Amino acid sequence: MRTFQMQCKFEIIRVLRNRYFVFWSLVMPILFYYIFTNVVNTNAPDKAEWQAHYLMSMTVFSVMGSSMMTLGIRMVQERSQGWSTFIRITPLSDTVYFAAQMIGQSVIHLLSITIIFIAGAIINGVSLTAFEWIASGLWISLGSLPFLAIGTLIGMMKKVETAAGISNVIYMVLAVAGGLWMPLEIMPKMMQTIGKWLPSYNFGNGAWEIVRGNMPDWKNILILNAYLALFMLLSKYIRRKQEAA
Amino acid sequence: MNEILTLKNVTKSFQHKTAVNDVSFTIGKGEVVAILGPNGAGKTTTISMILGLLKPTAGEVQLFNHQPQEKQVREKIGTMLQEVSVMPGLKVLEILELIRSYYLQPLVMHELINLTGLTDQDLKTRAEKLSGGQKRRLSFALALAGNPELIIFDEPTVGMDITSRNRFWQTIHHLADQGKTIIFSTHYLQEADDAADRILLFKDGAVVADGTPAQIKARISKQSVSFIVDPEISLENLYLHSEIDDIYRKNNRVYVQSNNTDRVLELIFQEKIGAHDIQIERGKLEEAFEQLTSGTKEAI
Repeated sequence: MRTFQMQCKFEIIRVLRNRYFVFWSLVMPILFYYIFTNVVNTNAPDKAEWQAHYLMSMTVFSVMGSSMMTLGIRMVQERSQGWSTFIRITPLSDTVYFAAQMIGQSVIHLLSITIIFIAGAIINGVSLTAFEWIASGLWISLGSLPFLAIGTLIGMMKKVETAAGISNVIYMVLAVAGGLWMPLEIMPKMMQTIGKWLPSYNFGNGAWEIVRGNMPDWKNILILNAYLALFMLLSKYIRRKQEAA
Repeated sequence: MNEILTLKNVTKSFQHKTAVNDVSFTIGKGEVVAILGPNGAGKTTTISMILGLLKPTAGEVQLFNHQPQEKQVREKIGTMLQEVSVMPGLKVLEILELIRSYYLQPLVMHELINLTGLTDQDLKTRAEKLSGGQKRRLSFALALAGNPELIIFDEPTVGMDITSRNRFWQTIHHLADQGKTIIFSTHYLQEADDAADRILLFKDGAVVADGTPAQIKARISKQSVSFIVDPEISLENLYLHSEIDDIYRKNNRVYVQSNNTDRVLELIFQEKIGAHDIQIERGKLEEAFEQLTSGTKEAI
């Protein structure tokens, strides 16, 4: 138990000390949020609704990024620097290691969500009901699972540089095409059709629905679960192939 | 018996070559054993199998009468691998705290710090900012963190300067005095000779010799008696004795090779050949070692 607590504590410390994390997961989303709700005139018909909507977009953007990049790149780093090999010789069990990673990551997500929500409340005075704040926060924490699975996929790459490059591209494509930067409605029809099937859109849409007083669509939940299953299977398959080699 | 490690007919084959070929040995409690051999002799592969990082193609490895992967084995071993490993994002002290928490009975922190020579400055430094020497010290500390009974080092002194090297071996002796079992690999005969009380000599994936440093040295270095003698005098008679392996002349001296130099001296006086300026030659150990292990294919 002490091992588990220690492992969680230090996993969290490591993430918080990571400058990329602080920049991409906290500074960037808050900066974007400020720009697209105050500096750029978006001509949104309902200003308050747009401000709440975009706050969710940016929170989703943040959590999606840290799920994929922080976790994935760290896995590659640990392996390429021989740390994973060393850990295998210690009595630390795989289960404790994995669980601590997941718990650490979840705590980090809750922290990011809280900080960005508070930023939204301060910058634009976004006001939601307590239920809406909590439900959207929970949705964003849980909805990050498929992206954590993408993170473990990225974590199987050999080089940190490749992993960082590829995860950045996936991150940006998912964010833009999933309507996190601009709403899907202002994009060409073709892009909208594709976008609606992306995990990022379904992740975001759940939160957008909550701040509009609705519940997330069943379709969103189904698609996210399907992606989670797909990425986990893929991850298992690749691991088996790597072990055989 | 106090058997800590047993290898039984262990073989490890990779796609194109056999790295370790039918190796068997047993190491008992408190032994300090050097796995000696040139690059590509199978030292690292053997150590990886002992640590459970690689599975043998055939044969069996047992530590404390258990499989290497079992948790109770992991509790009792510490290791420093060739590739120095660090966990980025944490300070040295934090890493030590974390790793100590993995073990049921870790080494007390201040003792760990004393043993490894980590300075206060080192302890506050983040792992990714450590210099090569500091990383080595951290690795050493990680190996000892669990207060292990068996410590395994793969080429521990590569990249160490003389001071750290001496300090390292001092600590090893100190640990050996406490009754710890120590296994290390090296390709320097000198190092094995100084630090170990038993040497396993590896060549081409097999153990070609197993014994005390003195035994190994006697095996690989030829002793001889050399002297100056009037070139006119015939040495024919010396050839008749079976104890003498070889006789040759070099730089005006005659060299008589034999494992029993006392007997050679006796013979020289017995035959009254008028030898003077007599010396007993131990032979260049390093050269003999290189000769013995040369012809080994380098690891790719």
